[in-house]
Amino acid sequence: MQEVAYPVLTTLVLFPLLAAFGLFFFRGDSAVRIYTLIVSVIELMLALPLFTHFKLDSAEFQFVERMDWVKHWGIEYYLGTDGISFLMIILTIAVLPLCVLCSWSYIKTRVKEFHFCLLFMTAACVGVFTALDLVLFYVFWEAMLVPMYLLIAVWGGPEKRYASLKFFLYTLAGSALLLVAIVAFRVVGGTFAIPELMEKTFTFGFQFWAFLALALAFAIKVPMFPFHTWLPAAHVQAPTAGSVILASVLLKMGTYGFLRFNLPLTPAATEYFAPFMIALSIASIIYGGAVALGQNDIKKIIAYSSVSHMGFVTLGIFLLNFRGLEGALFQMLNHGIVTGGLFMMIGAIYERSHSRDIFDNLGLGKYMPAYMGFWGLFALSSFGFPGTNSFVGEMLVFVGAFEYSPWVGAAIVPGAMIAAAYMLRVSLKLAWGRPTSWNGWKDLNLREWTFLAIPAVFVFYIGLAPGLTFRVMDASLEKLQNHVHTKAQLVSIEDGNPMEMAWDSIKNIVK
Amino acid sequence: MEINGFLHPAVAFIALAMALPFFRGEHWKWLLLVPPVIAIVVVFTATMGEFGVIPYLGNTLILGRVDKLSLVFANVFAIQSLIGMIYALHMKDRAHHASAALYVAGSFGCVFAGDYLTLFIFWELMAVASTFLVWLHRTKTSSAAGYRYFLFHMLGGLFLLGGLLLRYHEIGTFAFLPVDPSSVQYYDWLILIGFCVNAAVVPLHAWLPDAYPEATIPGAVFMCAFTTKTAVYVLARGFSGVYILAVAGTFMAVYGVLYASMENNARRILSYHIVSQVGYMVAGIGIGTALCLNGAIAHAYAHILYKGFLFMSVGTILYAVGTADLDKLGGLVGKLPWLVILYMVGAVSISGMPFFNGFISKTMTITGAAESHNTLIAVGLEIAAVGTFLSVGIKLPYFAFFNKPAKTGLKLNPIPKNMYVAMAISAILCFAQGVYPQMLYSLLPFPVEYTPYTPWHLLQSAMLLAFTGAGFWIMRKIIVPHHGRNLDFDKLYRLIGNAGISLVCRPIAWADSVWTTVYRVVGLKGLMDFAAGSSWFDRKGIDTVVDGTAYTVRDIGRTGAKMQTGRLQDYLGLTVFIALCIFGLVWYLG
Repeated sequence: MQEVAYPVLTTLVLFPLLAAFGLFFFRGDSAVRIYTLIVSVIELMLALPLFTHFKLDSAEFQFVERMDWVKHWGIEYYLGTDGISFLMIILTIAVLPLCVLCSWSYIKTRVKEFHFCLLFMTAACVGVFTALDLVLFYVFWEAMLVPMYLLIAVWGGPEKRYASLKFFLYTLAGSALLLVAIVAFRVVGGTFAIPELMEKTFTFGFQFWAFLALALAFAIKVPMFPFHTWLPAAHVQAPTAGSVILASVLLKMGTYGFLRFNLPLTPAATEYFAPFMIALSIASIIYGGAVALGQNDIKKIIAYSSVSHMGFVTLGIFLLNFRGLEGALFQMLNHGIVTGGLFMMIGAIYERSHSRDIFDNLGLGKYMPAYMGFWGLFALSSFGFPGTNSFVGEMLVFVGAFEYSPWVGAAIVPGAMIAAAYMLRVSLKLAWGRPTSWNGWKDLNLREWTFLAIPAVFVFYIGLAPGLTFRVMDASLEKLQNHVHTKAQLVSIEDGNPMEMAWDSIKNIVK
Repeated sequence: MEINGFLHPAVAFIALAMALPFFRGEHWKWLLLVPPVIAIVVVFTATMGEFGVIPYLGNTLILGRVDKLSLVFANVFAIQSLIGMIYALHMKDRAHHASAALYVAGSFGCVFAGDYLTLFIFWELMAVASTFLVWLHRTKTSSAAGYRYFLFHMLGGLFLLGGLLLRYHEIGTFAFLPVDPSSVQYYDWLILIGFCVNAAVVPLHAWLPDAYPEATIPGAVFMCAFTTKTAVYVLARGFSGVYILAVAGTFMAVYGVLYASMENNARRILSYHIVSQVGYMVAGIGIGTALCLNGAIAHAYAHILYKGFLFMSVGTILYAVGTADLDKLGGLVGKLPWLVILYMVGAVSISGMPFFNGFISKTMTITGAAESHNTLIAVGLEIAAVGTFLSVGIKLPYFAFFNKPAKTGLKLNPIPKNMYVAMAISAILCFAQGVYPQMLYSLLPFPVEYTPYTPWHLLQSAMLLAFTGAGFWIMRKIIVPHHGRNLDFDKLYRLIGNAGISLVCRPIAWADSVWTTVYRVVGLKGLMDFAAGSSWFDRKGIDTVVDGTAYTVRDIGRTGAKMQTGRLQDYLGLTVFIALCIFGLVWYLG
């Protein structure tokens, strides 16, 4: 079932990888940068067939490529995309050229290695979003850890050792359980292929533990409160491009994992745990916002705001209604665009002031109007101003939440208000504070205009005409929602009390 | 956006306004003339019909209703926009040009609108854009006047909006069609009030003499042409034959000249004359016979030309001398002879002197009123004509140009050539139309059977002008203009506004400030403390647990590594120690 004459997804995964090795043949920093930029643009063009041949009304996996990898164990090389992963793939690929551009003058040491990491990272991320085999997924999942670790550890700020190690250990702890869950699915379900596992029905006891194992791995990645503390550390220390990839792509893997694994594979447990996950999401939204309000480091504010925004995503997912799911996927995309844009802006100002403290960057509105214009746009979008992209996503989650229960809807209203509070606080100070440190800094140059204008266009495009995005995701989400609800009915909760059952099984293991 | 062969002139003006901020260099000002030229070409080549019909929410919006009535107004709007743009050509303020372009676009939109919704949108565009023409004069008084102007027009707009929505609710259509004068519904009255605000019908007129003298010099030229005449158009379109308008119009005509005769500021004199002259048109529309409607429309056409012209002349005085107050002017005839000649052309036009366009239009309405047996109205309009000549034709030029010798050491700003060009075009048009009435008459919606140049009409106007002149000569010492504002309805509006502020707004503001303090002290501080507390918890609470776990693991590992000394006696000793511990534990538990 091949839509295009050549394997598009494989090309998208392999091309940056091969191109990364091409880097070794270049000398000189600017040659490396231009080469990577060209590679990233070619990668974008290679994704064109996805646009032209993607069937909007189909909920099936498309662009499927499947062959045996390790036949003995039933591991396959199995790629495909649907309405859930499509936008994430595009986001990943689109972020790459922006990362190259925003690192143009920011990265001054080990330029070649830096761009190697970027390309390697992109390959792994596209792999994560396209893999339909659990082992393959795990391979990509782990593969993306290494370049991210290096990005922070080599090109990071003063506390890069601490931050990179924290990031690495946290994620590793999560993925250990993910591996356990994968093996368990193989043992019980007999295959690693996700579409086939989706057809199977597992006992509630199995789903219970599988859900928890998967959820922990993904919750750390999202990150959900209280597993979030690696995120501010990593964000603050990471170079701009690292922060952008981290915010735009890596965080989405967690929520993508929820949508791809937890919901379809463990539907009964998902329904059972949904209230708990909703509570955690609300806690993330409010807690992340409150902590963001208490920061003076601009990057930390945006990092904590990510916790809050991703809370909206997980909330949308576990509301398990159609609007919620739509809102979640929208918010994933929007957060990628807006927060990526904000991190690039912080990088741009850091290159001028060499500080990320609000009070070292006061009163820029007069001197850097273009900069503040873009900042204002992204800030407005960040707290869901009508007409911008985040409004659509946040609104859908709100609708879903009120559909689920008015109390849940009421509980996230303070979260939305606090988002306005912290974004306005930092924006007002940046724009109209009394300038303390301004020292003839130039306004945005052409390169900065370029990498900021691209997300800005999408802020408006998705904000004003979200129709196309809806059409991409709707079929798949509808199928997912029906799947969860029908499959959850098939499994009766054993013994009435799942918690007792869980406790019993722990006691059995200890014996 | 060409819609089925009809290029809406508003599109060209809006495009100009959008493009203006991006123009650089010296020569962009010539682009200002492009939209007016396009508009002139369009109105002279347009074919009748309905264009730009957009289905919207189960209704149809009509952007371009082109018929004789809309075309005659569009015709004079196009010409006057060209004259206005030429007059403003020397200005470098792009915001001003953009406001003027949007304002003109709004009036074209209104004239061609085939439904109330489209009309309302362009109506509001006019109101907003023209407010900027006042504000951009950038004086303290203009800010205040612009604000009052804006509020008043918003009020009028609300009446219009309320009326059109109620009308939609009742009859289910937005279509902009004539009202039957015998059954005017309550929603029609609301719409009529909205229209009357823009037509400056007394007592809703005070915004006009309040704001126009405060507008920028070219801004006033634009404003005197478009706002009231758009209102005249919509009245002619929707409310012809509603008799109350005839009464109101006559009252306006007299009321306006009365105040004009008392005024001191030249631009305010002209502003009151707009009220008066629009009164003729409103009266003609109110009577509603074919002759009167033709007269009203012809008068609107002529009035746009000569009133714009007069505002240009007085604006030029203001530009050159720096004031338009008559008590500060005088003796300019020697300094600005050409301006005096040009001004006099405008003055005799408005006064209805034969061979100028005021004569061929004004007498038409008066004759129409007389022929339809509205004698009182005809008499009222005649009285107003006397006052017009008295104030604009004699008093204003006498005190501005002739009265006393010019102040010694009076420095005049050099007058840009484009101003003279614009005035000359107007002068030629005023004269040409006066001599060849068919130029104007052929445009009118009804066939014209009226001949202006009969001996009786000539004698009538000659007598009128002569006696007025004689009267002025006798009275000239008594009616010397004084500095200061005359009491008009705007005082009443302001009184109501100020009373509202002190009785309603102030107490609410006080309560609100108390509440704000509560909010700031309790709410905001609480929020920030909560934020600080959360941050502290994040650092000390969660991170301590997480990092503590990691450090503990690391320390255990280090201790374990330290124990790997490689000495056999250490291992034996440790084994014995652990064995004893286990033994002790078992012994104790067992």
